[in-house]
Amino acid sequence: MRKLLDGTHLGAAVAFLAGLLASTHGEAADPVKVGVVTPLSGTYAQIGKQVRWGAELAVKEINAAGGVNGRSFELIFEDEEANPPVAVRKAEKLLLQDKVDLLTGTVNSGSTLAVGQVAERNDRILVTTVSYATSITGAQCNANVFRVNANAFQQSSALTAWLVKNIPGKRYFFVGPDYEMGRSTIAAFQDDIKRLGGTEVGATYPPLGAKDFSPYLGQVRAARPDVIMTATAGNDTVRLLTQLKEYGMLSGELTLAGAAGAVTQENIGAMSGAAEGFVSAAGYAVDVDTPRNKAFVEAFKKQYQTDPDLFGADTYGLFYLFKQAIEKAGTTDTAKLRAAMENVTWETPQGTKKIRKEDHQAVVDMLTVKVVGSSFKTVGRVPGEEAIGPNNCKKF
Amino acid sequence: MEDFVSYLHFVVLPQFIDGLIIGVALALVALGLTMIFGLLDVINLAHGDIYMLGGYAAVAALGWGAGYWGALVFVPLLVGVVGWGLEELGIRPLLPRGDRAIVTLLLTFGVSLILRDLAQVVFGTETYAIATPLSGMAKLAGVAVPLYRLFVLICGAAAIVLTWWLVYRTRIGAVLRATAVDPAMVASFGVPIRIVYGATFFYGCALAGFAAVLLGPIYAVFPTMGHDFLLLAFAVVIVGGMGSIAGAVIAALLLSQVQGLASLWIPPVWAETLVYAVMMLVLIVRPRGLFARIGEA
Amino acid sequence: MLHAGAAEPVRLSDPAGFVASIALRRFVAVLLLVAVLFPWLGGGFYTRLAIEALLLAATALSVDVLLGYAGLLSLGQAAYFGLAAYITALCYLHVTQSFWLVAAIVVIAVALLSAALGAVAIRARGVYFALITFGAAEILSKIAHNTRALGGSDGLIGIPVPSLQVLPGLKIALSDNMVFYYVVLAVIVLVYFGIRRVLNTGFGSVLRAIRDNSDRVAYLGYNPFWYKLVAYVLAAEVAALGGLFYPLLRGFVAPNLFGFEISTQSVVMTLVGGVGTLIGPLLGGVIITFFESVIGSYTERHLMVLGVIFVVFVLFLPDGLVGLARRSSHRRSGTTS
Repeated sequence: MRKLLDGTHLGAAVAFLAGLLASTHGEAADPVKVGVVTPLSGTYAQIGKQVRWGAELAVKEINAAGGVNGRSFELIFEDEEANPPVAVRKAEKLLLQDKVDLLTGTVNSGSTLAVGQVAERNDRILVTTVSYATSITGAQCNANVFRVNANAFQQSSALTAWLVKNIPGKRYFFVGPDYEMGRSTIAAFQDDIKRLGGTEVGATYPPLGAKDFSPYLGQVRAARPDVIMTATAGNDTVRLLTQLKEYGMLSGELTLAGAAGAVTQENIGAMSGAAEGFVSAAGYAVDVDTPRNKAFVEAFKKQYQTDPDLFGADTYGLFYLFKQAIEKAGTTDTAKLRAAMENVTWETPQGTKKIRKEDHQAVVDMLTVKVVGSSFKTVGRVPGEEAIGPNNCKKF
Repeated sequence: MEDFVSYLHFVVLPQFIDGLIIGVALALVALGLTMIFGLLDVINLAHGDIYMLGGYAAVAALGWGAGYWGALVFVPLLVGVVGWGLEELGIRPLLPRGDRAIVTLLLTFGVSLILRDLAQVVFGTETYAIATPLSGMAKLAGVAVPLYRLFVLICGAAAIVLTWWLVYRTRIGAVLRATAVDPAMVASFGVPIRIVYGATFFYGCALAGFAAVLLGPIYAVFPTMGHDFLLLAFAVVIVGGMGSIAGAVIAALLLSQVQGLASLWIPPVWAETLVYAVMMLVLIVRPRGLFARIGEA
Repeated sequence: MLHAGAAEPVRLSDPAGFVASIALRRFVAVLLLVAVLFPWLGGGFYTRLAIEALLLAATALSVDVLLGYAGLLSLGQAAYFGLAAYITALCYLHVTQSFWLVAAIVVIAVALLSAALGAVAIRARGVYFALITFGAAEILSKIAHNTRALGGSDGLIGIPVPSLQVLPGLKIALSDNMVFYYVVLAVIVLVYFGIRRVLNTGFGSVLRAIRDNSDRVAYLGYNPFWYKLVAYVLAAEVAALGGLFYPLLRGFVAPNLFGFEISTQSVVMTLVGGVGTLIGPLLGGVIITFFESVIGSYTERHLMVLGVIFVVFVLFLPDGLVGLARRSSHRRSGTTS
């Protein structure tokens, strides 16, 4: 018995020493640590997957090309489970324990707001590449929070402009999940449609995660709309569209449209054609015809066997912004980094983006995208400056 | 007056019919829950995830070329076996304990966590679609209803009737009802109680699996599908009377109508809360629910 | 007989004797020492995690008061944790910055709600009590989720980290992690000893007698209903204490604070620690919180691991960790029971 204990103790000591040696045998220069707190399980796991892939691909490329001023990027992933309290806890771990220099990855707008608060209290910067609640760079803006993707306002102005111009019928029906994100996105759509001369013939707000949309289809039928605009996402969109198809409402002159996250690479497979013709406006489309995007899509497909979507592309583009900013500031000090990220432009797969200083929102050219078969085709474009809208951030 | 009739016909009636279809599916899931409780005093928190398992089993079966009708037969059997396994390995050892209601609840909670993650490990996080086997619309009282939903309604109703017949009109059912009242007595007649328990779990879970295949084409299959349904199924079981078959069916139909019709006039999220409020009311005023347990008068 | 109302309560044989025993006192002393030294060993992140662990452990303690001593299983202690958290958040955001005023409001509000709910729930027997508590928490959760004024599904952010005015002239800033930790530790320790004291008095004896055989106690002239109600309100306040500090730690509240996960976790913590031991649930709470955080870093499948742990404890270790420790200490000293 005693012998065994000795053996175990000895083994443990050796392992401990080995571990100590291994951890001290680091790289010549410290890596730039980026904490990615993103949903890797749960409802938004599909989005988190693309975020992860975009980040990993960018970091691989940048590190292979010499890194950032000789330092390489190091990614540390944590699963936020699309749950703000968990996101906060994980973000704190990344900040306090792993001592990351930058944070990104949050998907859920609630998570972004909550983690943004944590980032501010710990003097670090958070950049979101997915969340599109306008309040993040609007009423609840934060000097430490940046956004490189298009927000709900930008999506809405681009999409509604295209719809009003291209769809002869003017009757619009709105379907939004009944929570903060859904309601505010629909509100943006409603305002823009009214402004452009369309007619709202009805709106309904099924609960988030509603199993069955057929109870709401009665209202839709009664309203006889020309366009249905939806702010659902993930499984909700799958159910809404397949049930619309089931009830025979998708034949004929009805156009489907909605938020950029409604129909994506990850849920289009489950729709069996119900999403045909779905129109949305996003800051990215796979068929953007630039050499940079072609190279990006090819590399992405080779690595992950599937096309990138807007979440993957925006996350990929973010790291090039980080690289540029860190090289320009010469440091990862937050105040200097912030200055190096305001009012700058940088190159992304979809073109040139610019961060507006007043609210840290990226100015993005908006692409109107239509679902054809099982892929997404660009059918229109609105320049960034037109789509962005006024600055609503008064806090810094 | 015309408007009112038209409103009834084109808004309320379709809502009612949809509610009926949901109610039947809900009843299938709730039946399993209530039978297990009625017989064993076990609150099966894993029931929703067993339902989910049924959905994924259907996806897998279709992937192997079984076809929808094959899945309809095969999946309930598979899920039933899983239920049996759960009973043998997890529940049975705990039955002799005095605090069985609590510990089985905790056990099944642990099992539900395991099942949910297991599904994600094996199938990933995306949503899977199951192709609708029947397309086209039918007219029911002047309302257009998809043919497939009508099929679901008929199948579900048939399963309910089958269950009722099994429990109240066969010898097996008599044994079941007797065991719910006095297992020791039944055991002394030489009836193998463990088989009765195992079979009940098998059947209850098989019903949930059957419901999952029926609902697959309508709702799609994804990891949290069980969780959503489970809470509602619990409300049904509580209102109907824990352990009562008639109660589960009637409460399922009733609550789905409450939610569906209320959605016409109040925001749908509050309609859902209303259902839970009804559940609380029943718990407070008449905790035994609307109907009596299996075996009791 | 298989009737829901007759479900027997969980019990550790002679918990009062054990609780007062020397072995337990030593055990508690050791834990206290570790707890006091912890921030020096831990570091910023772990100290904050420990604070959260202690707050969640309070919910476990509240479950034990009901389960181990009154024989009532509550599946809805999160209702009071969440209620306290939301009231605290709303007060700090809109009403006042005075900690004591907020604490007073929380105590009163929770007392009122728990008295009302308890009066209704205690009348029901066995499993139905659990279901009513579960239903109440669910409804509160849905109300928070559906109401935009309460932040909806995203919750409320922007809750400041306050300073406590302890004595005129003595202000404690909670913005320092270590200070916050010691404040919370002091509160939890006080509550633990306080509850232990209360349960060791006549009140506690009657309560335990009611748990074991309610009818007989009634014949002796005691009204079980009032005893159970007092225990219920007491337990609610303990859980509320956790909820009071939570928004101050995290800076925000969300509907999941009322949720089923927190309620069930509190029961699991109690089971893992040892029902009826009071210290067990606290220990269980800390262990489970740390464990989840550590596992969460290694695998996304932490739910499965947690599920396996639950199952293992339920099947094989029903007395929990403290029960295990107790059995081994008896084995060593040669005593039985």
